[in-house]
Amino acid sequence: MKSGIWPPLLLGAGILAVWEIYVRAAGIDPLLLPPPSAVARYLVGNARIMVTNGAATLSELLVGFVSGAIIGLSLGILMQVWRWFREAAYPWLVATQMVPIPAVAPILVLWFGFTIVPKAATVALMCFFPVAVNTVDGLSGVNPELIRLLRTFGAGPWKVMSMAALPSALPRIFSGLRVAMALSVVGAVVGEWVGSTHGLGYLMLHYENRGETAGLFATVAVLTAMGIILFFLVGWVENWAISWRRYAKETL
Amino acid sequence: MTVQPTAMKVRGVSRTYRDGTRSVTALEGTNVDIPDGEFVSIVGPSACGKSTLLNLFCGLDKPDSGSIEAPVLGEGSLLGRVGYMPQQDTLMPWRTVTDNAAVGLECLGCGRQEARRRAREHMDRFGLNGFELSYPGQLSGGMRQRVAMLRTFLCGRKINLLDEPFGKLDAITRASMQTWLLDYWQENRCTIVFVTHDIDEALFLSDVVHLMSPRPGRIILSLEVDIPRPRKYGEVVTSVHFNELKSSLLRSLGKEA
Repeated sequence: MKSGIWPPLLLGAGILAVWEIYVRAAGIDPLLLPPPSAVARYLVGNARIMVTNGAATLSELLVGFVSGAIIGLSLGILMQVWRWFREAAYPWLVATQMVPIPAVAPILVLWFGFTIVPKAATVALMCFFPVAVNTVDGLSGVNPELIRLLRTFGAGPWKVMSMAALPSALPRIFSGLRVAMALSVVGAVVGEWVGSTHGLGYLMLHYENRGETAGLFATVAVLTAMGIILFFLVGWVENWAISWRRYAKETL
Repeated sequence: MTVQPTAMKVRGVSRTYRDGTRSVTALEGTNVDIPDGEFVSIVGPSACGKSTLLNLFCGLDKPDSGSIEAPVLGEGSLLGRVGYMPQQDTLMPWRTVTDNAAVGLECLGCGRQEARRRAREHMDRFGLNGFELSYPGQLSGGMRQRVAMLRTFLCGRKINLLDEPFGKLDAITRASMQTWLLDYWQENRCTIVFVTHDIDEALFLSDVVHLMSPRPGRIILSLEVDIPRPRKYGEVVTSVHFNELKSSLLRSLGKEA
């Protein structure tokens, strides 16, 4: 992981080169598979459209991700503090993940219209689960000896939670947040497919209907880049929040 | 001789807990008095109920029958009023040395800045100078134990329970930590209940050594250690009297085993 940014870039460039050569040499119909150069030209030529629609998708995604993360974290904490709540709620939380999201999204549009709400809600619906599950696992992994020690200092359950359980659960919580971030891109696009007037998901449908395959590819490229940047952003925040980890020879 | 007040008074205490389908009697009819201001050790074989007894002392657990009182602390629950240093150092890897040492004070309602300030005042005495901002992962085993001990002693409890604090240290570090602890205790008198399975350690440190039987644990011998203080490690552990005391402890252990 430490060898830097060059190996993945080189590999990516290699794949693009093979793609370009193959499409040109085999004379593939650009409606089926446009060469990367055509996609790049499209991207540059339609930069404004990409940016405005990208911004729309990004805001839906961030609102959904943040609310999903807050909901997941709160549910995780409550499930850890109240055992009965954990037992009562867990099967239902699993059930929310068994519901096919594309089937729920139209209902959300029906309720909230062509606004940001159904998209953000779709994202949040997909995000909260990995955060909640990882929070519960992380919180229950706290060293019981540490809890006993804090109790001899007179600490109550909330003090134990904030001083010991939450900090020691942070690595697990961030694992959940990274998974959630990866899912939130899917959530935002699905939310837009069901009903929207702008956004990258909307743009994809638009290009598909018009047979502009290069535009479709360009949109996917923007979406992918956005997802990657957001994913690494979470990792960056994680390294900042858990900066002590490099000193921890053993975990508590 | 004046009558010494009693720090802890244990009368007929029994404690049985379930371990899966078995029920394990850890303590049965245990009696012990711990005089105020003394250094008392509890020695016994592994799994003799020493930890169960400590849990009762610090209020984390309740006896099935019998009573535990702390006359010097007055009435009420012991939880939150008796100092406790667990066997593992249980330092938080996300807190610096200073912040780890301040944990106890923070729990007791002291502000974070004030807790830090008081922790920093003791860094020198605990041999942690220059490590205030280090993380536990960067410290040696002996230093980690000193941070954990500072965390406990900073709370200024009248009674402090130390559960095998030097159990995982090498012999040399261990001897110097024992000497250090005695010095510290002589400057800052409090009642110390020190649990160990090392007879030499118990004899060197204590005023009284209580020997526990294998499960169910009872006190089978309470031995006054009349070696004058201050004690020097090298002189004490090689003296004839030390070895007489040691052999009487070993004889009692042998009878039980």
